[in-house]
Amino acid sequence: MKYLVISVTAVLTALFSNAAFADGETIAVFTKNLTNPYFQAVRVGTETAAKTLGVKVIQYVPTKPDSIPEQLSQVEDVIVKKPDAIVFIPVDYKALVPAVEKINAAGIPVTNITDRSAGGNFVAFVGADDYSIGLAIARRLLTAIGGKGNVIILEGVKGSLTSTNRVRGFNDALKENPDVKLLASQPANFQRLNALQVMENLMQSFPSIEGVLAANDPMAVGALEALEGANRKALVVGINGSKEAVELIKSSKLLASGDFNGFIQGCIGTQIAVRNLRKQPTPKEVMLKPIVIDKTNFTPYEMPVEQRACPTLEQIISN
Amino acid sequence: MNTATDKAVRPRLALSREVMQTFYRLLAVALLGVMLATLSDVFLTTNNILNVLRQTALLFLMASGLTLVILTAGLDLSVGANVGLSACLAASVIKLTGSPSLGMATGIGCGAMIGLANGVLVTALRIPSFIATYGMMWMLTGVTYYYMGGETIHGFPPGFRQLGSGYLLGVPVPVYVMVLFLLIGALFAQRTIWGQQIYAIGANPVAARLSGVPIERRLVLVYAVSGAMAGLASLIILARINSAQGDIGEELTLPAIAAILVGGTSLFGGFGTVAGTLIGALLLTLVLNGMNLLQINSSWQPLVTGLIILLAVWIDTRTRRIGE
Amino acid sequence: MSTRRLSLVSVSIARVPGVAIVLVALCAVFGLTSPGFATPANIANILTQSTILLLLALPMTVIIMTEGLDLSIGALLTFASIVLAVTVVTTGSPALAFLAALAVGFCFGLGNGVLIAVFDIPPFITTLGTLGIAQGLSLVVTDGQSVVGIPRSIENIYSGTAAGIPLPIIIAALAYAVTHMLLYHTRFGTYVFALGGNREALKVAGISVRGMLIRVYVFGGLMAGFAALLMTARLNSAHPTAGIGMEFDAIAAVAVGGTSFERGNGWLLGTLLGVIAVGVLRNGLNLLAVPSSAQVACIGALVIIALFIDGLRAER
Repeated sequence: MKYLVISVTAVLTALFSNAAFADGETIAVFTKNLTNPYFQAVRVGTETAAKTLGVKVIQYVPTKPDSIPEQLSQVEDVIVKKPDAIVFIPVDYKALVPAVEKINAAGIPVTNITDRSAGGNFVAFVGADDYSIGLAIARRLLTAIGGKGNVIILEGVKGSLTSTNRVRGFNDALKENPDVKLLASQPANFQRLNALQVMENLMQSFPSIEGVLAANDPMAVGALEALEGANRKALVVGINGSKEAVELIKSSKLLASGDFNGFIQGCIGTQIAVRNLRKQPTPKEVMLKPIVIDKTNFTPYEMPVEQRACPTLEQIISN
Repeated sequence: MNTATDKAVRPRLALSREVMQTFYRLLAVALLGVMLATLSDVFLTTNNILNVLRQTALLFLMASGLTLVILTAGLDLSVGANVGLSACLAASVIKLTGSPSLGMATGIGCGAMIGLANGVLVTALRIPSFIATYGMMWMLTGVTYYYMGGETIHGFPPGFRQLGSGYLLGVPVPVYVMVLFLLIGALFAQRTIWGQQIYAIGANPVAARLSGVPIERRLVLVYAVSGAMAGLASLIILARINSAQGDIGEELTLPAIAAILVGGTSLFGGFGTVAGTLIGALLLTLVLNGMNLLQINSSWQPLVTGLIILLAVWIDTRTRRIGE
Repeated sequence: MSTRRLSLVSVSIARVPGVAIVLVALCAVFGLTSPGFATPANIANILTQSTILLLLALPMTVIIMTEGLDLSIGALLTFASIVLAVTVVTTGSPALAFLAALAVGFCFGLGNGVLIAVFDIPPFITTLGTLGIAQGLSLVVTDGQSVVGIPRSIENIYSGTAAGIPLPIIIAALAYAVTHMLLYHTRFGTYVFALGGNREALKVAGISVRGMLIRVYVFGGLMAGFAALLMTARLNSAHPTAGIGMEFDAIAAVAVGGTSFERGNGWLLGTLLGVIAVGVLRNGLNLLAVPSSAQVACIGALVIIALFIDGLRAER
C-alpha cells in the first residue's frame, strides 16, 4: 500500500511538474509570430541545436501576431519560471527594451537574434546584416538588367528595422547605377497579397518595369504573380531564401534571393546561449555573411529546415 | 418601428426605400469614379477597372453570406478565421490529391461546417452571436496555426489558379463568380419564402415566431451560408496568391462588415440587401484603389475608410428620416 | 434607490455566474499543475498585466449597458499613448502629456457620443469609423515607428510600488471604485441602467437621453486616455500597434462577466472577474509552456464556455 502511494505520488509529480528535466538546461525562445515561415525556421534551428547539445527549449510566441504587450507579458511570466537562459527576438526593437531590462534584473542571461534590440544587456547578438544583404541582392539584380532600366522597390512593414536597413541597401546599390531609374518605393508589409495588389496598381502607372527589389520573399513572389497575371516580365529578387523562393529560382522565375537564414540564427543563438551557461567562451557578435542564392548555388537550400544539421559556431565564424 | 413590422407582414412595400438607398449609393460610386478619373489618368484604363472589379469580387464574396446573418440582427466575427482554416485545408487537399475539385469541395465544406457550428452555438447553446463567433474566431485561428505549423503551402495547379487570377472573355473569373452569387443572393433574399423569413426574423423576431417561422432552423441556415461563402472566398484567395499561410483572411473580417454597413444593411436586422453589400464593397475598393493610384501614404488608408463608413451611414440615417 | 439595490443583490446571488466558475476552475487547475502559479510574485504579475484591459473594460461595461458598443477604444488607447509620448518627449512635462492624453480621449469620446446620440448613427458603425480614424492618425503621426525617450517618471508609474503593491494595481482598484460608485451610487448610474432597460422612463422624467449617451462615451474616452498613461509607462514607448484588438478583448471580458448586450443589466464585478479570468488563462498557459496555437484556441474556448454556463443557469 505504501509503495502504491509512493508510486502514484511519483507519477503525479512527474506528470504535473514541469521542472522534471532529467538533465540539461532550459532555454526560453521568443519569436514574433506563428505565421511567418522565417520564425518557424528560427524555432526549428533552436530545437535542432538543443537536441545536439542536450538542452530543452520552450517556445514563446504571442497569440496575437507581433503583439508588443503580449510579448511583454510573456517575458514577465517566463521570468517567474526562471529558465536557465533566453534567446530573444523582440517584436519591436525599441518597445521591448523594458522587457530585456526585466530579464537582466532577474539575472537570466539573454542572447539577442535577428532584430538588434535598442537597449539591454545581451550575451551576444546573432544576426544578418540587413543592409549588406539588401546591397548584395540589389547589385545582383542591377547587374542582371545590364545597369539600366526601370526598377521598383517593395518595402516591408513601415518602421521595421529590417525593412529600413534592407531598403537602404537597395538604394545604395541604385546609387552605384545612375542609368537605372527608381519608379516607386512602396510598402507591402512583407505580405504576399499586399505585394500582389501594390504591384498590380504600380503596373497600371508604369508600362515598363525591368526589375523589382522586394525586401522579402513573400513580397517577391506576390510581385511575380502580379507580373504573370498581366503577362509581363521583369527580373525579381527577394530576401529570405525560403523554400518557395528556392523552387522559383530553380525554375528560373525568380532571379535570386538573399540568404537571411533564420535556421542558422536559431542554431547559433542557442549554441551561444548554452556555451555561455557552460562557461565556455562566446563571441559578442556573430554576423552572418550576406549570401545571394541564385541558379548557381541553390541546391543546398532545397533541403527542408527540419532535416538540416546545425552548423557549429566555429564553422560560421571562420567563414 | 412600424416600417419593420410592416415589412414582416408585407415585405414588398418597403423595397422602395431600399431602392432609394441603392440609387444614392450608385450615385456615390459614379461620383467617386468621376473624381478618380479626373485625378488619375490611369484610373479608367481597362486593366485598372478589371483589377478593381476583381478586388471587389473578393470582398463581396466574403461579405455576401455575412449580409444574411446581419439581416437577422446577428453578427459573424469568425469569417476571417474561417477563410484562413478553409484555405489551408483546401490547399493541403489540392497538394495531396492533385485534384482542384476535391480541394474546392473541402474549402466550401469546411466553411459550411464552421458556419453550422456557429449556428448551433447561437441557437442551441443560446450564446449571443457576437461572443459565439468571437470565441469561434479564436478557436479557428488556433487550429489553423497549429495545423500550418508556421509553414506555407504553395504552388497550385494552373487550372485551379484560373479561379483567382484567370480571365474569361477578358473579364477576371472572380467577377463572374461575384455576379453569379449576387443574383443567387438577391433572388434568395427577395423572392423566396426563406429569404422573407430571414428579413422577418431580423425585423421582429416575436412576430416572426408567432407567424410560424422556424427561427432556429433559419438562423442555423444563415450562419452555415455565411460560412460556406467564406469557404468560397478562401478558394479564390488561394487561387489568386497561389499559397496558403496561417494568417490568410485575418484582416478581412472588419472590411467585410464595413462593406455590408456601407452598403446600407442595418445592424438591427430586417433591412438591407445583398446588392447593397456589393455596392458597399465596390465603394470601399474604389477608395483604396484611388489612394494607391494617387500614391497616398498607406498610413492614411484606415483613416479614410473610417470616414467613408461614417459618411455612408450618416447619409442613410438622414434619408431614412426624410422617408419616415 | 434601496429597492433597486436590493433586487440587484438578489439577482447576483441567485445566479452563479459562469465567469466565477470558470475563474475558480482555472485557478485550481493551474495551481495544481504549475509550481510557480500560486506565488505572490506571479499573482502580482497577473493582476498588473490585467490593469490596462480592466481600465478599458470598466467603461465598456457601462457602454454595453446602454445597449451600445465602443469598438474604437483600443485604437483610442493607442493614439492617446502616442500623443502622450510625443508631448512628454517634446515638452518634458509628464503632467502636460497626461493632460494631452486625457484631452484626446475626451475629444474622441465626445465625437463618438455626438455621432451616436445626435446623428443617430448606430454605435457599432460609429465606433468602427472612429477606430479607423484613430488608427490612421496613429500611423500617420508615427510613420510606423515607436516613440521613445520616455522619462523615468512615467516608466515608474507602471513599475513602481506603494506599500509593496504594484502601482498599476492601485490605479486599477481606484478606477474600479470610481466606476462602481458612479454606477451604483449616483443618479448618473441610475440613468445608465435606465438607458439600457427603460429609455422611456428617462424621457418621461425629463432627462436628456442624448446628454446621457454623450456622457457615457466621453467616460469611455477619458478612461482610454487614462489607460494610455499606463500603457506608455509599461512599454516605455508608444507604438502604433500597441492597443490593437484590445476593444474586442474588453468586450469579451464584459460579456464573459455576465453583462448582457440586450437588456442593460450590467455587473461590474463580473467584468473584473472576466478580465482576471483571461489574465489567469494566459498566464497559466504560459507557465505550462502550452504551445501558442493551443493558447489561441483556449482563449476562444474560455469565452464560449463561460457564456454557455451562463446560458444554462440564467432564465430567459
